[in-house]
Amino acid sequence: MPGDDGRRAASQARDSGLHRVSRLTWRAGVASLACSAVIGVALARHSEASAVTTHPQHSTPGQIVIPAKPPQPSGGSGQVNSGAS
Amino acid sequence: MTIADVGRDTFDVFGTTAVLLVAATEPAGPAVAGASTGGATGTRAAGTRAAGTRAVTAGIAARARAIADRELAAVDLACSRFRPDSELTALNEAAGGRPRPVSPIFADLLAAALRAARLTGGDVDPTCGRALVGLGYDRDFAEVRAAGDAPARPVGPVGPVPGWQRVHLDLAGRKASLDRGVQIDLGATAKAWAADRCAGKIAAELGRGVLVSLGGDIAVAGPAPADGWRVRVTDDHAAPPEAPGQTVSISSGGLATSSTTVRAWTIGGRPVHHIIDPATGEPVRSCWRTVSVAAGSCVDANTASTAAIIRGPAAIDWLRDIGLPARLVRHDGTVETTAGWPRDDGPGAAA
Repeated sequence: MPGDDGRRAASQARDSGLHRVSRLTWRAGVASLACSAVIGVALARHSEASAVTTHPQHSTPGQIVIPAKPPQPSGGSGQVNSGAS
Repeated sequence: MTIADVGRDTFDVFGTTAVLLVAATEPAGPAVAGASTGGATGTRAAGTRAAGTRAVTAGIAARARAIADRELAAVDLACSRFRPDSELTALNEAAGGRPRPVSPIFADLLAAALRAARLTGGDVDPTCGRALVGLGYDRDFAEVRAAGDAPARPVGPVGPVPGWQRVHLDLAGRKASLDRGVQIDLGATAKAWAADRCAGKIAAELGRGVLVSLGGDIAVAGPAPADGWRVRVTDDHAAPPEAPGQTVSISSGGLATSSTTVRAWTIGGRPVHHIIDPATGEPVRSCWRTVSVAAGSCVDANTASTAAIIRGPAAIDWLRDIGLPARLVRHDGTVETTAGWPRDDGPGAAA
């Protein structure tokens, strides 16, 4: 019957379209996964390199710290020596 | 508080002499001439106290020594250039390779060395390891000196050191690496850093005032004696009391002395010493033979005293600009001082 033929053709066309969309979706998914992996590895390497080449921020101030009070005059011998070793 | 209220311990470490002074906090008892606590640690009171108070001091001094032993052993294992099992040796051997995990204490020691380099514009640079090896300083200094006039060692062309920017430290991640050909030596900062660490730990754990001297690099922490800790400033930390110098007192921070006259030897008939000029890779030829600096910490004092030797005449203005009290001695013995360092006019002051 002409009506049945038309519905069958429409059904086949729809199935064919769905298969095509499905294949495209699957390929896009695989491509996306591959890109994610590549980007992830690249970012990890970049992050590691950045961390290692960054010089430390020491916990003490960024300058040589002066004493709270300068040395005071003192007589006699010392309890210890400050000299080179 | 008098000297009789101080527990004293002297021992060898890092190829030099260490001194621990621990202040007592109890009221002083009557003096007993010649008394000594002795004990398994070799600790002895530096004066005389009543027996009850002295026994407390001996116990405290023994605990202080135990803390110092623990901390100094950790520092030695981390950064000795002469131990095959140290982290520093492993890092030097891995130069040019990928970042290596390092211990927290090594990370802090390396951070201190890099900070010193940054704050001195590279004058105190840890990448002088290869230069020192080339001068024959490749083992404990006592062995270097005992070897006498050794022949020069070929280590490639002498020239500027590689530079501290070629040392990479991830302090948070505790990883470090060196660029190819870089060899580090932390001698310019590690001993002073260790003195600060020991003093801080002892004061915190014992609640006492303490002075730690590692080969003349001095750190103090906790409550100081009323008249401060008396320090004789001289060329050599092992000098006798009558040696030329000046006695001062300090009550906080650190005091360090750098000199070209003590850690010196000959190689191939040439007199050399251990303070390397990063610009040449050779022992620096300075107008100063000895520089002493007081600072907020021993590592800062030592950073500045070493940089001053390397900077030569320009060191005077630099020290004055940053407000660091310092005593600088020329080769002829004349003395310059900066930023409130007391006048040097007492008996025996002539350097």
